[in-house]
This record gives sequence, structure tokens and C-alpha cells, in this order.
Amino acid sequence: MPAGVIIAIVGVLFWLGYRYYAGYLAKHTYALDANFVTPANEFSDGIDFVPTNKHVLFGHHFTSVAGAAPIVGPAIAVFWGWGPALAWIVLGTIFAAGVHDMGSLVVSVRHKARSIGTIAQDIINRRARTLFLIIIFFLLTLVNAVFAVVIGNLFVAYPGAVIPIFLQIPFAIGIGQYIYRTRSAALVPSLIGVVVLYFLIWVGQMVPVDITRVADAMGFDNPRDLWVIIMFVYTFIASRIPVWMLLQPRDYINSHQLFVALAIIAAGILVGWETIVAPVFNDVPEGSPSIFPFLFITIACGAISGFHSLVSSGTTAKQLNKDTDAKHVGYGGALGEGSLAVGAVLAATAGAATTRADWDVLYADFATASGGGVGNFVSGIAAFANNLGVPLELGAVFAAVVVIAFAATTMDTGVRLQRYVVQEIAELAGWKTLSRNLTLASVVAVAVPMAMALLPGGGEDGYTFGVLWQLFGTTNQLTAGLALAVIAVWVTRSGRRSWPVIIPLVFLLVMTPWALIVNLMNFVAAGQWVLAPLDLIIFGLAMWLIVEAALALRGARRGDPGPNAAGPSGGTAGAGTSRDSDAVRKANAPMSRGDDPDRR
Amino acid sequence: MIRIVLVRPWRDAAAGGGCCSAGPDSVGLDNAGHAGHRSADVFAETYCLLRKELPGVDVQMVSASNSLFLLPTSYRAARRDHGRLWSLRRAALSTTAGAVLVDGEVVGDVEFLGADGVLGKVLASAVS
Repeated sequence: MPAGVIIAIVGVLFWLGYRYYAGYLAKHTYALDANFVTPANEFSDGIDFVPTNKHVLFGHHFTSVAGAAPIVGPAIAVFWGWGPALAWIVLGTIFAAGVHDMGSLVVSVRHKARSIGTIAQDIINRRARTLFLIIIFFLLTLVNAVFAVVIGNLFVAYPGAVIPIFLQIPFAIGIGQYIYRTRSAALVPSLIGVVVLYFLIWVGQMVPVDITRVADAMGFDNPRDLWVIIMFVYTFIASRIPVWMLLQPRDYINSHQLFVALAIIAAGILVGWETIVAPVFNDVPEGSPSIFPFLFITIACGAISGFHSLVSSGTTAKQLNKDTDAKHVGYGGALGEGSLAVGAVLAATAGAATTRADWDVLYADFATASGGGVGNFVSGIAAFANNLGVPLELGAVFAAVVVIAFAATTMDTGVRLQRYVVQEIAELAGWKTLSRNLTLASVVAVAVPMAMALLPGGGEDGYTFGVLWQLFGTTNQLTAGLALAVIAVWVTRSGRRSWPVIIPLVFLLVMTPWALIVNLMNFVAAGQWVLAPLDLIIFGLAMWLIVEAALALRGARRGDPGPNAAGPSGGTAGAGTSRDSDAVRKANAPMSRGDDPDRR
Repeated sequence: MIRIVLVRPWRDAAAGGGCCSAGPDSVGLDNAGHAGHRSADVFAETYCLLRKELPGVDVQMVSASNSLFLLPTSYRAARRDHGRLWSLRRAALSTTAGAVLVDGEVVGDVEFLGADGVLGKVLASAVS
């Protein structure tokens, strides 16, 4: 199948999803109201609450949600064939991610733009917020662990990427300082930054940095482990310096890289008229993880990602100018992420190998697929770039730099965020020393994922990395499940059509525990006494979530107003007001069981 | 309709790190409030003043890093009256942190002018 045809089909399906399904959601499930006064307008302060043009906000939102995760998952998941991976990405994006991202944004906007964790407390109960924080703790632990392993593996496989990645740091700081101090336009220095980065990629290719000897001398079995430690030392330092100094200028350069990479994927496929050599359904070896349920947790970001509820409710909701813009920003952002995941599938199935036999070697078994998935994406991008005249080796280092830069930025912000979560959990538990000591909280935020990445077998063989990645996927799906539960309860209480939210919620709450049970049995059988308890804890969280969601939904169906419906913040009644509430209520009357709480 | 864009420096913009990252506001720590930074932020002051004094005008706050929005907006505005090269230069200038854009044209700097100065510049641009 020509990859260009896939791009066209997916483009049409995404357009139909946006045009019709998102339109249905906007009208019947979320009842978007152009006259609703959003928190950005109600509390407009020019700082956090800023009513923002939907195209501007889409740019912020998309660059906040697009990163390395929608690349890694699909690059591994094509192990089951490109058909299932692509189907889950497309259907998941349209019927799950779009619903989730748009719903998180809307529910937050109707609750003073507060975070999904805080809203969970108001809509479900206090326990739901504690559950949210614990899930986020494990999610951040696992994401930092797996990305450290991804970076370490790429540095070992592509030593040419070391120089550009590490020299990008002082260069980004320099550009940031120059732009700020000279008050010059950001574009030209940043473009120069991109050009210099590409020059450094060429230098890196000429002078690869291989630390195998140093790692040997220090007693490491695998040089990857030394890179993992270096990355965590770096993130500990990076998470303590202001975001404007390093993170934002580097993010700016990275955002250009993202667009360059997307352009290379599209142009390279079309110019070379690449054909997918992988099978639609792969006949996987016996003993491999089964497609159900593991496909659905291997691809989390790119099909549905709970993290998007954090971005939607934490930052984007404070800037939404009109309620109706939620479709463009929330649903559109999900489609953007899905597009990146489709690009990853095509790179790993059409670019990484030229024949079916070559591809079969790359995806011979799950361990090989997991360990080499990201490398296959890198090879695929290199092949696409090669169609445009870029030498293969240079293209490979370029693609490795893109992935590492994304993953490193995610680690920077992930460790920063984990620090807050650790402090919050410590506060709830009454551990005053930990809750008030930023350095101690940072040490915990770094030490736990580092131990996970380095634990015996941590990422050493591809199978264990694949399992770690799946555990990360389960926690990401649990976060999405919690957000969907909050949205479903809110929609049900409003008397609107909740099935578009409940179906993906039930799907996630079936697939995730199923995968956890199967993995738990495998861990016990293999004597993996670190992963088994971790899996058991996450399974416990999943059960807790199912109980809370079921109780809250049952209460909502019975007409229970919720724990904080009459609270000072408005609780489930929502914040903000409608300029034309009577007209809207009348318009919604046929589908309402009573007064719409949002309009009270 | 006139559109005013205030280009916020990076240091004030929200951090984004790709999928699986988010700001502290996102994990339920949003009850701390934000009172106190209004007076310290000239951009917020300018934004609020413009919204108050010019209620019918489209005022946007955009991060200097959002070149996806700034470049085409400024380029299209400049192309109405000028050639391609001139418009490209004008578009590049629109990514200057602190810039005040009125209909895509840079008319001043928020931190140099202050809130009242920006209001005066905007009114003068509208008249001209």
C-alpha cells in the first residue's frame, strides 16, 4: 500500500471526525454555548486568564501536547501489523482522544478553568483527587524512566547525536539571553539556532561520542546506564533553573524541528512514493503479548493520552475565549497528535525497511520491536529525508536529535512537575519535611524514576523496556479514564448525551486492568519482583478508579447533585455565566432532564 | 476591525514540553491564586488597560515563540501595502518580545512605552 494513500485516507477520516463527530459532541454532549462567559473573560487579568484567539491558542495547545510519546508507542506497536496500529490511532483519535481532550477543556472552562484533579474532587469526591495525584505520581515516574532509557539507547545507537544535543543547551541559553537583552526579533536568531544545530549534527556525525570505555571503567554493564544517570543529573539541574532560561528557548528551536520533521515525513513519502512493506496484520511469534489488550496501552499518546487533560484543564482552559472554540482547540489538538502518530507508523513501516524480509528482521519478536522501535522510526525518517537528497547517515542523526530533544524536554518538565506532585502527596500524608523542602522533593522526583530505569533488566533487554513502556501506557490511560469519568459524570448530571464519553471510558477501564492482570501473571512467573508489585499497585489504582467512576455515574443517573454542588466555587454548577442562558436552556430543553446545572 | 497583538517575552510564557508534560497548575495546585503579579507585569497592565479603554478592539496576547501565528498574520497585513521583501522583514520583526502590533505592524515596545504609552500609540495608529 502506498504511504501517500494512507495519508490521504487518514486526512479525510480526520476531517470527517472534526466536521461531524466533533460537531455532534459540541451540540449534544458538551452543549457548547457561544454566549457562555468563559473564565478567560470573566477573570481576565492579562497573566493567566487571557481570552485568546482560537488559532493562537491551538498553536500553544498543540506544541504543548505533541512530543516524543506519540512517536515511541506507534513505532513499537506496528509489531502487530500496521493495520491494527493505524486503526487504533485513527479510531482512538476520533472517538476517544477528541472526546477526552475537548471534554477536559469544556469541563474545566465550566469550573473556573481549574485542573481536572481539583474538579474530580468537586464532581466525584475527595478520594478522587488523591487517586488522581497517586496516578500522576506513577505516570511521571514511568515517563521519566522510559524516556531516560529511550535517550540512553539512542545515544548508544547514534553517538553522533551527543554533540548536537549537549551543545544545543548553551546555545539555546545564549539565544534566549540575546533575544531578551537586545530585544530583537526571535525568529532570525532562532532560525540561525536551527541552522547551527544542523551544523552541529554534521559535526556530531564526524565526531561521535562513544562512552563505552568510560562506562566499562566505571563498572557499568551497559553504556546506556551511564547515559541514564547523566540525563537524570542534567534534569535535576535543569528543573531547578527558570523555565525562560533554558526550557523555553530550547522548546522554540524544538518546535521548528517538529515542523521540519513533519514536513520531511510528508514530502519524503510523496517524493519517494514510499510503499508500506510491513504486513497489515503481523503473524507474531508464539509467546508474544497479544494484540488485545496490549496494542491499546502500547499506543497511548497518539490514540488517547490522559496527559492532555492536564494541559487542557491547567493552561488552555484559562485562555479559551469562547466556549465554542473548544472544538477547534481541544478536538483539533487531538487530531494533530494523531497525525504525528500516523507519521511514526509510516516511518516504521514504509521508511525503516525496503523489503518485507528486512522489516521482519526489525520486528522479529516483541523484545526486538520494543528495543528497536525508536531506532526504526529514526531510520524511517532518514529514508524519507534521503528521498529529498539528505544523506542517510546525516538524516538518521537528525531524526535521533529530534526524538532526543523532545524526550529531554519532556524529562525536564516531567521532573519539574513530579517535584510538585511529591510535595502535594507529602502534604496530604503529613510528611512536613518532604512537603516543604524543594531540594528533597527534587531528589525524590529524580531518584525514583532513575532507579526504575536502572533496575535489573530495566531497559537492558527490549522486552523489559517494552513492559515498562506498557506500564507507562496503563498509567496514562488511567489518567485519561479518570478525566473521562469526571466528564461523564458532569455530562450525565447535565442531562445530556453521555454515551460518547462513557464508551471510551468503559473501553479504557476494560483494556487497562486486563493488560495489568496479564502482565502481573507474567512478572510473577518470571520472578520480576520489582515490576510485579509496581504492576499490582497500578492494578489497585485501576480498581479504585473503576469503583469511584461507577459510584459517581450511578449517583449522577439518580440525580445526585454531587459532593460540592452548592459549594462556594459553584462546584458542579460550574463557574461563569451565560449571556443568553434562557435561550440556551430552551434550545437544550428536549434533551434535558431538568435544569442544566451549567446554566444555574 | 483593528487587531492589537502584544508579544509576550518567553520568560512569561507557559512552558510546554511535548506530550507527557504540563505546568504545575495542571496537577491540582491551582488554588494558590495569582494575586500579586498583576502590578509587577507591565504586559498584564497594558492588556487590561487596552481591553478597558478599547472594548470593541480585538486585543491578543501572544508568546514571542508563536511564530505559527505571528509570521503569517504580520506578513499578510504588510502585503496589503508593501512588497514581498519588505513584508518578510516586517513579519520577522513581529516576533520581537515586547512588540506591540497594530494590524500586523510594529508600533512600539510594551516595556519601553508602558501601558499608557501603548494606549497612546494605538490611538495614534488608529487615527492615522
